[in-house]
Amino acid sequence: MQPLGKAASDDDRPLIERVRRGDQDAARILFERYFDRIYNYVYARLGRAEDAEDLAIDTMTRSLTRLDLFQDQGVAFSSWVYRIAHNATIDHYRRQGKATLVPLESATMPVSADPSELAVEQLSNEDLHEALRALTDEQQQVLILRFFQDLTATQAAQIMGKSVGAVQALQHRALGSLERALHGRTNN
Amino acid sequence: MTTEMERLERLAERLRAVEPVMPSPGAKIRGWNLVLAAVEQSATVRSRSHPVRRLVLAAVAAAVLLVAGAVAASADSLPDSALYPLKGVIENVRGALAFSPSDKLDYHLDLARTRLTEAEAMLARHRVDLADQALSSLNDQLNDAALVVQAEKAGDPALAASLENRLVQAIATHDQQLAGLQGEVTNAAALAAITQARDGAAQALQTANQPASSNGGGKPSASPSGNGKGPSATPHPTPKH
Repeated sequence: MQPLGKAASDDDRPLIERVRRGDQDAARILFERYFDRIYNYVYARLGRAEDAEDLAIDTMTRSLTRLDLFQDQGVAFSSWVYRIAHNATIDHYRRQGKATLVPLESATMPVSADPSELAVEQLSNEDLHEALRALTDEQQQVLILRFFQDLTATQAAQIMGKSVGAVQALQHRALGSLERALHGRTNN
Repeated sequence: MTTEMERLERLAERLRAVEPVMPSPGAKIRGWNLVLAAVEQSATVRSRSHPVRRLVLAAVAAAVLLVAGAVAASADSLPDSALYPLKGVIENVRGALAFSPSDKLDYHLDLARTRLTEAEAMLARHRVDLADQALSSLNDQLNDAALVVQAEKAGDPALAASLENRLVQAIATHDQQLAGLQGEVTNAAALAAITQARDGAAQALQTANQPASSNGGGKPSASPSGNGKGPSATPHPTPKH
């Protein structure tokens, strides 16, 4: 997965104009640029490859066919795409009643020598994904954007429609919640 | 013991180390094919929606809004208003949509009540000419209502009786209002117009009382005129400003 980079929004502009004129090559470049990232983002939220695939395709379709709406958004194209993905995820939750989420109880957590500390290095990716999905919507979003997607606090703030300070505070709380979720699992 | 910041930083580092989950090559191909199809379709739709066409659509939308606003505003307009002719058009449309005898009666009685209200307002503004027109139209509506009742007498006497009862009550109410007006105005022309309107209302009652055969043996047309010379051209008078 390529890093998004700070200049991504500037790079996107000429491509967006070309897509508006019906240039399929430009659409292909934007698809290649964002599809993997969006798939990864949605997968982190849902934990199901089939759903992640459908929602990533849906997000890219909306992003590249509704550029007339993007004109008025006043945000970077990348942020707009993430917002569409986020909304699609929320819609999916509503439709499914969160039935597709993997229950945290099924995870098996490693135990540290010091019972007050998590053996973070020994946690499997799946442990982390499952614990993450036990957090609130915003907490999941900030951790995925900041650490799985490797976005800056500024980029995450634009996507989430918050100030940078608010994102940093939310990130701190989210990490605390994740730690508690993992601890709770270890102690059970 | 590590501090909270250190613990959270370690956890953050662990999250950063999580291998990204990537879509399968097949999923990516399928995704691009679907997106490409949607982009092509979207481009076709966009090319059809020419700027000039958009402009025309916007103009039509604006016109519709304007007309809708004028229609809404005309509903309460009075004979001395510029929107009053529009009110007549809307009333005609309403009349064309009244099919059952009961609906037709309601329509005529409603218009009669409206004309009376307009006449009162015009008298208050010393527009005796417009009040006279409104009262004349009131009589036309009452006559039309009476003919609806009369036409039902041959086919459905029970319904005719029910309609007649409603007409009688309406005329009684109108007459009471007209009598009140008569006591309030001093202008001779206005008094004459009111007297004529009360006579016309009494005449409408007589018409309703007559059997259907006295009207030529058949049902009257959908909107017969009060003077028995044929259908009314319009349910309300054309104002003369």
